[in-house]
Amino acid sequence: MNAIASVPTEAVVSVQDLTVTAGARTLLDHVSLDFGARSLTAVVGPSGCGKTTFVRSLNRMTELTAGLAVEGSVRYLGQDIYDAAVDPVVVRRRMGMVFQRPTVFPMSIFENAAFGLRLVHAEEDLVDAAVTEALQRAGLWDEVRAELDRPALSLSGGQQQRLCIARALAVRPRVLLLDEPTSALDPAATQRVEATLQGLKEEIVLVLVTHNVGQAARISDRIAFLHSGKLIEVGPTADILERPRVKLTEQFITGRYA
Amino acid sequence: MVRLLWVRSGMRRWWPFVFALIPLAITVAIVTTLLRASDLENFGWSFWSLNVSDHGILVYVIGSLLTAVPALALAMLIGLGIAVASTTYLPRFVAGVLDPCVDLLAGIPSIVYGIWGYFVVASFFGQNLFVWAAVHLAFIPGLRPTHDSSLALIATGDGLALAIMILTLMILPITTLLMRDALRAVPRDLWESGLALGATRWEVTRRVAIPYAKRGVWGAAFLGFGRAIGETVAVFMVIDQASKLPTNVYDGTSTMASLIIGTIDAAMQGGPTGALELHFLSELALVLLSITLVVNVAGRWMIRRTYTGVAGV
Repeated sequence: MNAIASVPTEAVVSVQDLTVTAGARTLLDHVSLDFGARSLTAVVGPSGCGKTTFVRSLNRMTELTAGLAVEGSVRYLGQDIYDAAVDPVVVRRRMGMVFQRPTVFPMSIFENAAFGLRLVHAEEDLVDAAVTEALQRAGLWDEVRAELDRPALSLSGGQQQRLCIARALAVRPRVLLLDEPTSALDPAATQRVEATLQGLKEEIVLVLVTHNVGQAARISDRIAFLHSGKLIEVGPTADILERPRVKLTEQFITGRYA
Repeated sequence: MVRLLWVRSGMRRWWPFVFALIPLAITVAIVTTLLRASDLENFGWSFWSLNVSDHGILVYVIGSLLTAVPALALAMLIGLGIAVASTTYLPRFVAGVLDPCVDLLAGIPSIVYGIWGYFVVASFFGQNLFVWAAVHLAFIPGLRPTHDSSLALIATGDGLALAIMILTLMILPITTLLMRDALRAVPRDLWESGLALGATRWEVTRRVAIPYAKRGVWGAAFLGFGRAIGETVAVFMVIDQASKLPTNVYDGTSTMASLIIGTIDAAMQGGPTGALELHFLSELALVLLSITLVVNVAGRWMIRRTYTGVAGV
């Protein structure tokens, strides 16, 4: 609804009539939303509104959950990623993903960041350069540069989450999907991750699922409000926060949502 | 009343130590019994030789390793295959049938494996696999039959190779079960992160899930080895017991455990021969105990080393 008004001119990801069902339950109901280059869209809404399902359907992670049926289309640079000819592995390389809790792998910091590159058998100097760059972009380089061989699991939670961001960035995705990336972090670590995301939105498309309106207010350009699987309202962050057009949105952002 | 309370509070404080005493006492009792029975003061390590006719135990130590190590390697490989298939690839209903089967097999008494091995597996492998290997794989040193091991003899199946097979079958359920549970404990998030980076299921299994489950894999290896090297009856039944090193895989030999069960009766007959025999068997048991102990300690150390700095996640 009113999505057309805020459609960026050149959409990197274009979602049309996306409907996801699990048996008789409808998790997402005809959601249409476009994502332009260099933007940070916060997807907000109460628990169970379908925001996680939404972000997972953008890189076909929905397929990993048995019993989910997806209808509608998700286009990445014009190509429907749900097309039978499209390999989900390729889709996921173009769209990185960061999860609620840090999910570093049981290997060194360096190898974590290099994981995606190793999969495509990138050359060693290329891997070195890409890992360095990814760690810099994720705002972790200065903290770990001297100890890249340490086990990643010895890092703090906030550092681990930034390493996960670096790992996703290392394969140079055009889109980064973040599913409540700071929900397991303390305020200081949250702040570091938010700063990282703010830097990244100048470079790529960020889709940030968050239950925290404050976080959306701090770092997003645009807010999409989901409720019961429907996209209720989407618009520039300031407009949604100050002049929500829908009563439900206003109730949610002011914390008066029951 | 006061006295009763005192006794009760005393008991409350001491009972854990009473329970702690049980395994400690058993350990001390076993070690001292074996040390005394082997009469190390008189015999020392004179048994530590390859000379079988002079009661050398090295042949049996080697026999044990020759059966346990290959069996462990096979059981780990096949077990990892089953564990990965069950946790990652198989449809849920197939895994739902497979998993209880593995659990059931892990609990079967070893004598059952022994009887099955003796009556069924021996001739099956003997007539099919071993004879075929003796003819077609004779260019591999250990698989070449010697002149005195005729194909008819090989077809009966008994010998080193069969002992390895039976041991593999016996420890396979426990290695499978431990690795399966370890793989199942890999967080779903971690899996999805790998897949979200564009990895295939196999790549996530190999590079993330198995390293994450390393502790369980090591645990499976050490427990499997302990079982394999300590197995007695089943090995005794199928190894074609002989006090010599095997010349090839079809040949008979003995393990420490199978020799003990094979000769304990004679040793108990008494007399000077029987006494010597008892010292010899006790020293054998002592060596078996030491090997198990060393493997256990090494295992714990390995697991701890692998996981330092990772705990708490």
